[in-house]
Amino acid sequence: MKFLAHFTTALAVISVTLLAASPTPASANPSPAESPPPSGEIVSPFIPIPEKFIPAYFGKRPESYLIDPQKLLSPSDFRDRLAFLNYHASDSAIDLFVFVIGADQEIPAGVKLDEIIGRFFSNGRPAVIVFYYPNSVQRSTLLLSPSIANTIPQTEQRRILESAVMQANRKSNVSEQTEQFLVQVSIRIYWMEQMISGKSAKNDKVPHANLNPALSKSAAKAAGFAKLQEVVMQLMIPAAAAFVTLVIIALLVAWRRLTARHFFPVHQVETRLGGNHAAGVGAVITFASTKVPPASQREQVSDFSRRF
Amino acid sequence: MNCPRCVQRIHRAAESCPHCGFSIADADAQFGIDPVQIRCLTDSAGILRRRDRQSVEAAMEKITRRFPQIFVALYTGSLGDAANIRPFSFWLLNRAVYEDAPSGMANDAGILVTIDPESKAATMVFGYLLDPFLCTQDIFECLSRAHPYWLDGRYADGFLKALNHLEVILRKKFKKARRDSKPQNPKPLTPHPAEDLGKGVRALDQTIAEPPTTEEATS
Repeated sequence: MKFLAHFTTALAVISVTLLAASPTPASANPSPAESPPPSGEIVSPFIPIPEKFIPAYFGKRPESYLIDPQKLLSPSDFRDRLAFLNYHASDSAIDLFVFVIGADQEIPAGVKLDEIIGRFFSNGRPAVIVFYYPNSVQRSTLLLSPSIANTIPQTEQRRILESAVMQANRKSNVSEQTEQFLVQVSIRIYWMEQMISGKSAKNDKVPHANLNPALSKSAAKAAGFAKLQEVVMQLMIPAAAAFVTLVIIALLVAWRRLTARHFFPVHQVETRLGGNHAAGVGAVITFASTKVPPASQREQVSDFSRRF
Repeated sequence: MNCPRCVQRIHRAAESCPHCGFSIADADAQFGIDPVQIRCLTDSAGILRRRDRQSVEAAMEKITRRFPQIFVALYTGSLGDAANIRPFSFWLLNRAVYEDAPSGMANDAGILVTIDPESKAATMVFGYLLDPFLCTQDIFECLSRAHPYWLDGRYADGFLKALNHLEVILRKKFKKARRDSKPQNPKPLTPHPAEDLGKGVRALDQTIAEPPTTEEATS
């Protein structure tokens, strides 16, 4: 009897476990609305960008670095981000264009991005084009203009986007997310420039992008001052060495002049007027009166002649 | 070169002035034939204070330091008549023995400045060593620098100014001489025959005050 009771209990436990693991009746019998689409058709959870905004997005080459015809960003955010993009353009050889698209939107299937980018960004400065989705940053995509698309490997492009998304996700606020995203893209573009120009980028030379225009200007000034300071520091040592050398030379010349001894050549001079050592009168000057200045005494005359 | 008495130009190797017949014998007859022993700085007129004497001696030594062949002497005394200062300076540089002059240096290398505070006249003469290099105008320029000081009775200051300018002129002349010809090794000059150095400055002054007669000079 005891064995039978244990067997019954174990059977009950197994049945409960199986019941828990088995699908619910609802999932087992899905409703017609949630039934999977027919094979070969993919239903997107996003809605396309409204038709009326398509020309503003893709109708022509953007005249601004920030394209937001739907006004998805607040006016202040739009102003700050645009200021940053303008600053980036002034500081970098690669422009950064940002298309702002709604989090629940998608680019219509009829829009061929490769064709659009090839048409609008083949000429002019190289550019990085970002399709940015506020509140859904991970959906952002990044494309390069044809002039640099082949230079930068795909892995690097992917890394740029990943790092920007990662930075943006550290913030909870949409505005801050956008700010961090753009800053990171700007920084990575700097590295991209270094890669293109073949220079080895150093960590201490990574530019610190800042979205605040005032801070950006001050940062630019600080960078200019630092560069000037570096040049001055480089020139200071040679200049100081040259100055010390000049001072030493001047001192040596002065010392030599002070201690120089001059020897006149000795000529044999025939004696005159019976004088063994000297002859002649040299010069005479009288200082009896201020009315007889030296200028009037320049012509040396005998005292006999002067009296008359 | 000009005659000390008539200031007329005389030619080289003239035994006496072709214009007035002046020679050292005339100066000897006037001031004495015997050599006189004096110091380079002889202030018979007493116009220099002790402090002035130190600065004057330092300036004189400085000239000798820069130009080791040359020494400078200063004699101040009352000569009575301003007409005496030219022949007297000529005579003194030939007849004086400077006891503190650098050894082995003859009067040929001397530059003598004579100041007569009584007649308000001063002269500067130089020996044969500088004969090829200095001219009357150079010397006059030096004296001109001293003129405003001597007008005020600041004899030491005037003398220092004159020496400063003399140094400048000597340096220029040295450079010119070096350009014209390579400098030669300094040749020691024949020392002055120190014969009968018994007479001193006082005797010299007495001689000036009481010039010997023509007969004494002839003898």
